[in-house]
Amino acid sequence: MPQVDQFESVFRSAIRDVFHHADPGIHSVLVVTDLDAAGAAALTEKVKVFAAVLGEGEGLSWTVVTGDQFRTTKELQILIEKESPDLICSYRNLHSRAWRFPHSLGEHLDIIVQRVPMPVLVVPHPEAGRAYEHALENTNVVMAATDHLGNDHALVNYAVKFTEPKGKLFLMHIEDDAVFERYLEAISKIPTIDTAEARESLAAQLLKQPRDYVNSCVAVLREAGVPIELKCIVEFGHHLKQYRQHIEKESADLLVMHSKDEDQLAMHGLAYPLAIELREIPILMI
Amino acid sequence: MTATLLFASTAGAGHGTPQFGSTTFLFALLLVAMIVCLALEEKLHAKKSVIVGLFAVVSLLLAAAVGILPFGDVTLPNGHHIAMPVFIPAIDWGVICIIVGSSIFVDVTSRSGLFTWIAIKLTKASTGDPLKLLWYYGLMTVVFSAVLNNVTAMIIVGSLTGVSLKKLGRMDKLLGFLIIEGLLTNIGGLLTLISSVPNIIVGNAAGISFVKFFIVASPYVAVATVVTLLMGAKLFGIDRLATAEEKKEAAFLVSGFDENDRIENRGLFFFGAVMLLLFILVIATVSVLPVVKLLGMSFVALAFALIMLLCYKHEVDPFYKAVDWDLIIFFMALFVVINVMEHAHVLGLIGKGIAMIIGDGKNSFGTGALLVSSAVFSSVTDNIPLAAMLAQILGAQGVESSSALWWAVVFGANLGGNLTPIGSASTLLAVTIIHKYKLQMSFGAFVKKAFPYAVVQICMATVYVLLLMKLLPAE
Repeated sequence: MPQVDQFESVFRSAIRDVFHHADPGIHSVLVVTDLDAAGAAALTEKVKVFAAVLGEGEGLSWTVVTGDQFRTTKELQILIEKESPDLICSYRNLHSRAWRFPHSLGEHLDIIVQRVPMPVLVVPHPEAGRAYEHALENTNVVMAATDHLGNDHALVNYAVKFTEPKGKLFLMHIEDDAVFERYLEAISKIPTIDTAEARESLAAQLLKQPRDYVNSCVAVLREAGVPIELKCIVEFGHHLKQYRQHIEKESADLLVMHSKDEDQLAMHGLAYPLAIELREIPILMI
Repeated sequence: MTATLLFASTAGAGHGTPQFGSTTFLFALLLVAMIVCLALEEKLHAKKSVIVGLFAVVSLLLAAAVGILPFGDVTLPNGHHIAMPVFIPAIDWGVICIIVGSSIFVDVTSRSGLFTWIAIKLTKASTGDPLKLLWYYGLMTVVFSAVLNNVTAMIIVGSLTGVSLKKLGRMDKLLGFLIIEGLLTNIGGLLTLISSVPNIIVGNAAGISFVKFFIVASPYVAVATVVTLLMGAKLFGIDRLATAEEKKEAAFLVSGFDENDRIENRGLFFFGAVMLLLFILVIATVSVLPVVKLLGMSFVALAFALIMLLCYKHEVDPFYKAVDWDLIIFFMALFVVINVMEHAHVLGLIGKGIAMIIGDGKNSFGTGALLVSSAVFSSVTDNIPLAAMLAQILGAQGVESSSALWWAVVFGANLGGNLTPIGSASTLLAVTIIHKYKLQMSFGAFVKKAFPYAVVQICMATVYVLLLMKLLPAE
């Protein structure tokens, strides 16, 4: 039934993922530090400036956890459950000197990011000195990154929430060219499939869905009167390299990405390498 | 064997007074064997063009051997004689050209995105409500079957149904939708003279114009469509959405469809729409259009196909490849077989049998019996050989074009396809799509589900044709 398949493809292709705009509702923030009271307060002030877009005067409550309030991950988890905030703000390698080595998130953050339902804003380590100059100043330029941009309402809604009015929000979708080439190599060995046509059609289709979704986001946000500029970056490339390039090129203030994966205990595909390597700007892990 | 056949033959050549001898019965046996093979097409794993082609070869060889074929030059209308293989004039090239021209025209028009645009527009207009969707898809099936052909209509609507119900999370209703759509293709196939091949064959043989065909068939099609949809909604439990929340969610989901997705070129889209309307208009008025009426409907179909091909003048190959050559070769072979059967007086023999049923063609029982027996016959094998054979027989008997007997054949041949899944290509396609979605549907299960609809449709058609007997003016 080639014709049924053809028409099914036509109709499937006509389905657009329509963005559903909703305020993620951030009313309470828990700042988790391993610092003393003064250090924690100073960091909190910085974060408040950075995340001013969340609305200081609109009933947003801030709670600060100092280093002496917890030692183990279990103790931290109990603290979080007790406070039950809408957002956690912390940094890598709590209660550890391992921040000197850019190879891990540290045992606390590693587990908390996966175990708690609320998003975690990971800011550059206060002592590491790796942060860009513009980091923690504001959220004029926000980037939302995913390897599958489509029906990703939560990701976009959090990114929108964090973007300052008149700021720029980049929705990024990078198709891994190495994976693409591997599939095409397999296709090139199948005589019934025209390789050149497959390359062209597959590439176009892979980029079409995220572009359509971004167009839907633009239309919905415009209709909702959200005063931000939405930009689309949908292309082939090497995930990490490409994300880093765009972050540097656009001087991004915040990267938003998924960290949880329904199918596994480990962190969502791209999240871990990005969280490990991109230490210069805050990352919102949802 | 040839000697035996020659010895046994009392049929004689040509179209003289039929004398039914052993040759006639031998060829009748061959015809029955062909029909059985067509009915068992799926089991034989052979395409119908190959089956009928093989019988055409055997029939021609046998007929040539027993000397019943009229070999010799063919006389043209201008009096010239032309040498031509005996099987070439046996083929109704008018029908072949209509089918080739129409399928190319529809295929090119389809590329403009017109049909998918209509289909998606209707999906969005339904706001995702299952009952509304059933009515919209049902009406679309009927209209597409009438304008395109039954199989193309089923392909478009069936594939959209699968995709949209999945999107709406209503896959539990898919079986009902597909069965109803399959049944409606054969109703829609009754609407115009070019909606189905039996219509083209019978209409051509009877000399029924496009407009007259539409005027006579449309009231039945309208009522049968409504009845089928009402029954379908009831029997398959397809209801409206109950809560405001459900309605809101369904509307949001269907709003994601983009009807403009396949429109690569706006100009071509509008050109396709205009050409489709013009095609229907010209086909409808071909009998009164000066010059064009001399060239006929087949010319119109081929001419429109060519005009549409101009839009893709550098890449016409895919459209030629898309022509259903199995169907075309099947027709050509079928016309050859029927021609041989005519020379062997098999059609005369069947005609005698039919004459016993229909009497003088003016009694209600005979007309009704012809319709029902055509439907039963069409339910187990292809309705095209039946239509071609009956058209030939009724034509040979000099049945007037105003006779309700033609309509009995048209309604019976089309509606019989709804009794079983093998009764028509579109119901078979509906079942194939059902299986594609891993839904269980055996031959018996289809008959069980479709039987109430088919019986109601055939009963309504019988009553309608009997009414026509009273209403149609005798010529």
